[in-house]
Amino acid sequence: MAQAVATSDSMASGSSRNFKLRWTDIFIVLGIIMLIVGASGMAQRLTQGLAPTNITSYVPWGLWVGFYDYLVWLEVGSLLVFITLFYLIGFTKLKPIKPFVLFTGFTVVLMALIIVLLDLGHPERFWHVLLYPDFSSMITWMVWLHSAYLLLLTVELVLVLSGTERSESILKLLAYFSLPMGLALIIVSGSIFGVIATRPLWNTASLPLMFLISSLAAGSGLLTLLVVLFWPDKQSPDYRQIIQRLARLTSVLLAGGVFAAGVIGFTMLYQGSGNPIRAEGINLILSGPYAWSFWIIHILLGVLVPLIVMIVMPRNPLLVGIAAFLSTVTFVAVTLNVVIPVLVTPDLEGLATAFVDSKLDVNYVPNLMEWLMLAFIFGLGSLIYGLGLRFLPLQPRNEEVNHG
Amino acid sequence: MKDQNEVEQASDVTRRNFLKGLMGGAGAAAAVAAFETLADNPAILLAQDAATEPASSGSVLSSAGEGGPVDVLERMRLELQRALQKSSLDRRWVMVIDLRKCVGCHACTISCVAENKLPPGVVYRPVIEEEWGIYPNVGRRFVPRPCMQCENPPCVPVCPVGATYTNEEGIVEMNYERCIGCRYCITACPYGARVADFGFTYNQDMPEADGLILGQAGADDYERVANFEYGKSYEREGRGSPVGNARKCHFCQHRVLEGALPACVTTCIGRATLFGDANDPDSLVAEMIARPNVMRLREELGTEPRVYYLT
Repeated sequence: MAQAVATSDSMASGSSRNFKLRWTDIFIVLGIIMLIVGASGMAQRLTQGLAPTNITSYVPWGLWVGFYDYLVWLEVGSLLVFITLFYLIGFTKLKPIKPFVLFTGFTVVLMALIIVLLDLGHPERFWHVLLYPDFSSMITWMVWLHSAYLLLLTVELVLVLSGTERSESILKLLAYFSLPMGLALIIVSGSIFGVIATRPLWNTASLPLMFLISSLAAGSGLLTLLVVLFWPDKQSPDYRQIIQRLARLTSVLLAGGVFAAGVIGFTMLYQGSGNPIRAEGINLILSGPYAWSFWIIHILLGVLVPLIVMIVMPRNPLLVGIAAFLSTVTFVAVTLNVVIPVLVTPDLEGLATAFVDSKLDVNYVPNLMEWLMLAFIFGLGSLIYGLGLRFLPLQPRNEEVNHG
Repeated sequence: MKDQNEVEQASDVTRRNFLKGLMGGAGAAAAVAAFETLADNPAILLAQDAATEPASSGSVLSSAGEGGPVDVLERMRLELQRALQKSSLDRRWVMVIDLRKCVGCHACTISCVAENKLPPGVVYRPVIEEEWGIYPNVGRRFVPRPCMQCENPPCVPVCPVGATYTNEEGIVEMNYERCIGCRYCITACPYGARVADFGFTYNQDMPEADGLILGQAGADDYERVANFEYGKSYEREGRGSPVGNARKCHFCQHRVLEGALPACVTTCIGRATLFGDANDPDSLVAEMIARPNVMRLREELGTEPRVYYLT
């Protein structure tokens, strides 16, 4: 890393090619590091399939599915909030950030698709979903919507980078398309879990809606973070006003999400509900061995701290940025807590001990290989993001911004 | 009352004939002892007894119509032959598992593994052991759990590529070549009856030295022998199917359609697992599922399993 930075410095000092190190190059450096660190995990995945993971037949989805949903929440949520504010409400001051929102969404959707692709037992057959689709499955809808969303984002990104007058009108039209498509994608990704009757904690009509609320809260946080990071003129009065409004919106969505989740959670915990498995699942999240991921990572760092900062100091961009970062990053604890605790609660008691094998186990903790493969994907995303920030004309034209 | 007396007399006659038969083949004393045992044990019936008395799930011998005592396996085999004469749409394959007769030997589990060449981590028919109560009032039972072959299978509609479906025999089967390995069906099965094939082999970490009997090479050969699921031949090579797929019990369709009973049925030492066509009113399984002590797992879900348990 030091060598990479030194090389960049020397290139910058050489200045024959007018190369200047930007703070956004940190994404490139981080990306390369994570690619190197995660390479062994990816190599294992490519050569040995899912065998080296801690996934079992009784806990068939784990870390990767949790991260996939998290990234879907981020990408769709940020775009939904942006499109609603920019096109529907007419908050046009957000225009300078539009290319960043689209490019971030594009990168995140790409990462999400690679993760879920590599979670398949036969990733080389992904095209079966396009060629032999069965639309009674929520996964079919998810794949189709997600692929279409990637296509739409790519077109939008190309148009916004072209920056012509005509492209603006097409962009507006596409934005109206992407709004229902994004809503559908989020609802479908929640319904993947919601329709499974045998998993009481998933099988609630409220789960897809909770996905939507969570996605909007996470996406609003990401949008706020993008504004703090990439706003071209941080001395302008618009900047603080936008930060303040986004902080308010994010805090309302966070508070609303917590309230809704609380109401649903208390209902499920009711002892007389006649559904002890559901209550057991909730208790596992609230007081099980990984309760810290819920209470400390999500509730404390992801909700309470950001809420306090955004309510008390909404005009302080630095603090709002940190709060938005915390909120955005820690939302992954929610998706992991949606996916994993339900699966580690066995369908039939005694099944896990009926035939002993490491792949017939109801216990699941992601292993190093799973984290490493994830690091590789995030490294890839970070590298693409860093290169895009450097080489794509994302900044407003005729405006040199020195981020120092 | 009169009818009952007639039945009892008829029953006595057949027992007497049976006794004569036995005496012809062995010593009288031994035969008498055997007769007394049989007469005292309602688990063993003669063919005509079975026709006049309610069929007992405690029996290893049962009726096949005319003639002497018949092992229930033979009866089921004959019924299977009869069922195969019909159109597949007229058949309704069901499995009946008598929990009072299951001793938890796991022979069915192992025979299934052998029949389908299942790799490590893949099991179609585990036997769940249940214990309950507080000492001294405790109970224990064994619950074999094959695929329930639900009439409303939750695993089928969730498959994004139609790789799992109910075939014309009413059996939920897999199209390994179509399956993408998303494992959605595994999460949707209420019975945990689907497993993922992660691609393990039994001797993958063994040293390559020659063994005393076979050595790794020989063991490898055995392990890579093709199975015949769904009437096809799947050799275990590389990462091709069924590696990477969801897998499940299919009531040994490749055997059944050739006139052989499922492997778990033939190897059940207590004849606790029965199999046949429930649409045949004279079949053993049809008799069994008409009993009041029949139940199915998680019926509240409306999946309509084709596996019945006698309790």
